[in-house]
Amino acid sequence: MFLSRDDAKDICDKLLARTRADACVIEIDGGEDHSLRFSRGSATTNTSATSLSLKISSHINGRIGSVTTTHLDDKTLETAQRRSEEIARLLPEDPEYVSPLGPQHYENSIRYHDAPKLLQLDALVSHAQQAIEQGQLMNVETYGCINGARRFDALATSNGLFSFERRSEIDLSVTARTRTDSWSGWAGAHEFFAPRLNSAQIALAACKKAAASAAPKDLEPGSYTVILEPDATAELAFWLMSAMDARAADEGRSFYARPGGGSRIGEQLFDEKLTIRVSPGDSLAPESSAGYEGVPHRSRDFIKNGVLRALYRSRAWAHKTNAEPVPFARNFIVEGGPTSLEEMIRATKRGVLITRLWYTNLLEPRALLLTGLTRDGNFLIENGRLTAPASNMRFNQSLGKLFAGIEALSPTQRTWRAVGAGASAAPALLLKDFVFSSQSSGI
Amino acid sequence: MTKSAALHPAMTQSALEQNAMRMNLNHTQLLDQAQIALDHAKRAGASYADIRLGETHRQYIKAKDDRLENFDESALVGFGVRVLLEGCWGFYGAHQLDRANLETGVERALHNARATKIIQNQPIMLENLPAREATWIMPMAQDPFGISAEEKSALLLSICAAARDEGADFCSASLSLAREERLFANSLGARIAQTRTRIFPSFKAIAVDPERGQFSSRESLTPARSAGWEYILQAGLLEEARCAGKEARAKLNAKHLTPGIYDIVIDPTNLWLTIHETIGHSTELDRVLGWEANFAGTSFIKPQMLNNLQIGSELMTIIADRSQAGGLSTIGYDDDGAPAEAADFKIVEKGIFRNFQMALGQAHLIGLPQSNGCAYADSPTAFPIQRMPNISLAPNPNKCTLEDLFKDIENGIYIIGAGSWSIDQQRDNFQFGGQLFYEIKNGQLGDLLRDGAYQGRTTQFWRSLDGLGDSSTYHLDGTFTCGKAEPVQVAPVSHGSPPARFRNISVLNPCNER
Repeated sequence: MFLSRDDAKDICDKLLARTRADACVIEIDGGEDHSLRFSRGSATTNTSATSLSLKISSHINGRIGSVTTTHLDDKTLETAQRRSEEIARLLPEDPEYVSPLGPQHYENSIRYHDAPKLLQLDALVSHAQQAIEQGQLMNVETYGCINGARRFDALATSNGLFSFERRSEIDLSVTARTRTDSWSGWAGAHEFFAPRLNSAQIALAACKKAAASAAPKDLEPGSYTVILEPDATAELAFWLMSAMDARAADEGRSFYARPGGGSRIGEQLFDEKLTIRVSPGDSLAPESSAGYEGVPHRSRDFIKNGVLRALYRSRAWAHKTNAEPVPFARNFIVEGGPTSLEEMIRATKRGVLITRLWYTNLLEPRALLLTGLTRDGNFLIENGRLTAPASNMRFNQSLGKLFAGIEALSPTQRTWRAVGAGASAAPALLLKDFVFSSQSSGI
Repeated sequence: MTKSAALHPAMTQSALEQNAMRMNLNHTQLLDQAQIALDHAKRAGASYADIRLGETHRQYIKAKDDRLENFDESALVGFGVRVLLEGCWGFYGAHQLDRANLETGVERALHNARATKIIQNQPIMLENLPAREATWIMPMAQDPFGISAEEKSALLLSICAAARDEGADFCSASLSLAREERLFANSLGARIAQTRTRIFPSFKAIAVDPERGQFSSRESLTPARSAGWEYILQAGLLEEARCAGKEARAKLNAKHLTPGIYDIVIDPTNLWLTIHETIGHSTELDRVLGWEANFAGTSFIKPQMLNNLQIGSELMTIIADRSQAGGLSTIGYDDDGAPAEAADFKIVEKGIFRNFQMALGQAHLIGLPQSNGCAYADSPTAFPIQRMPNISLAPNPNKCTLEDLFKDIENGIYIIGAGSWSIDQQRDNFQFGGQLFYEIKNGQLGDLLRDGAYQGRTTQFWRSLDGLGDSSTYHLDGTFTCGKAEPVQVAPVSHGSPPARFRNISVLNPCNER
């Protein structure tokens, strides 16, 4: 159910007027989602769905009870609201309670294009068809998924805050595999503005990677020069960002904790070429205007020239530590540089080009030691050119160490994310001493 | 492994209504709504149609240290209708269950089926399904949703306090509850009403040495289960929290593991995840067919390996079921309407690969007549896909204790609890961490070690299995949130096993990998 701003506000106002709590917060989100998958050049599953969820949080004497429902009729809402109040009364007092926010000023974030038909299944089929036809043309099997959605988020508090945002999203990812299952390639893109999705380009990129004729070479585990394509860079940067909780750092249980106490804000932790920022107004990967708890997202550097500048901070922790609340960011930009991917390849005597990563997971949080594997487009670089597909490998790599030595960056570009997961932009990176720990037969 | 006696035979309409009294929703109304949708689909020419209607009721409660951070309750109602029209699937889901929405939903599903025809190069084909009328209600002693917010909050705060009293600096604890109530109906006449409840208590104790900039953690080992509140009462959470507090502190100063090749004994609290990742996922037929190639991945197992592949040693028998008491996949019928007994099969028998897991419309693609009851949709509004039933390693029929497994190990490691996990997209190269690593020296359990992870290749690993605990050592573990498909769906699933011994396994020390 795709509510208008006025409809969402009317519902919020009605519920806020009816509250019997000290304070009340209403969150509504919903929309329409469409999805299509294909395998070996033929459709497999598809879905269209409308959704709506309304959450009422009642605040009573420093206690918060929350109830979520999918129905907007008066009886359901009344029951949900009274139940949230009942829960709140039964809870112990929260020693770190903060009351809901009042009115805020939000930066403008443009993430909605009003063309719902471009997100529906008929349009998705056309994009998938292009990918399938490209595979047939290049004699590889194609597999993929395309999602289209338009959604809204509304937040209102009894202290006078109301925020409302809409976004439209489309994403396509294509995996191409040889007919003998001996090699694979992948490409993908995510856009807030559906007309920008270039499915022909995505399909061609995936099929080209899969169509490599040479047999994949097995590489010995060890330390390699690598070139990460932007999607791989964004995945590693996501782990840097997701560990940025101020409370964990202040409490000494994070990579960003300083030995002896406090966080490492202000310290040079990474190479000076690394900058990661968040901005609602960014043209490539705009963050939403309102973040968690309604705290505004501001244009902000989290890492600037390798120096840690900011960490996420909940309102409760901010209040306790007398610091600014900073909402968790799902959309971010890793700043790029002037070196093209082709120049990086030419500058590499021996190394590996990595298309994307798979099943990354923290192995050791103190050093941000990450494990994972390469997937769908690993290529050996010898004397400045791609010479053969390289079999996939597992890596065990400290991100702290890796991002402390960046050789070169390409211009940043939008990367793939599945609809609903936010957006990111990142460059290709040339890095030395990337640690592959074992071989994988996975293709 | 005990079998639940919860399966009810086919029931009449009146019996359905009588049992519905024990459910939240009005099942007579749901049956009418299902009929509206199925009649509409049939009139429009669908060769097959099914519908899932129902509600998922959840609670999520979280505490950190002395603070109750969240108490969220939700009730999400909805339906999802699936039609097969000229060999093409079409699906539509929504939250509103009124007649107009149901009819619009069917129209939208039919529209989607027509829209995909142009890229339906391999028509969807279905096997014949038996049409059942049945009700299945998971047995439990005490409905956890009936327990007060006060009691649940107090439990979580007590867990945090217990861990901190015994050495942890910080502790977070949470409780997740879910109750699924569903009506499944299809155009062949199936009418199946089911409800089940699951519960997942969890905590993490953290000890910090601020001067050295070091910290360590110990996560809870108490598994998620399909169960009522009685499970929480007997789970010994406070006692476990006290142990975890001590162990988190002890890990800070434990000696470092020397990386190398070891004989290892893996506790069921760790092995369940290895079973899940290496065997559970690699034997899913949709992956083998390439339906997940773009995201979750494919498999190193191919159709021609059925009954041929020596996947593990003779001690290895892996059983699928939907009837194990407490199993998170335990249910009367899957989301295609297949009965639980269809999912009672061996995946691996004495080391030989015997069966894939299959959902509706897959079996004929490898020349088999019938799927085997492995479908699940994570909400009524989601398309049902192939998902795991409970998948477990059978215990040793001969007597064997945990201590027996240590006996002839000169220099080995015993691993408890699941930690960091990662596996390649064909389910071959894996690396799994743990919560607690202990030395085994000359057949005896030795000192606690700081951190570790074991790394291997699936068949090599399972072929090195040479010791297995008996049924007295069996333990059922599992997860609420196995992710798969696009859009991602999360499924609950259990995996049971005894402790098991594996020879010559590569073990690494994460601190050396930096």
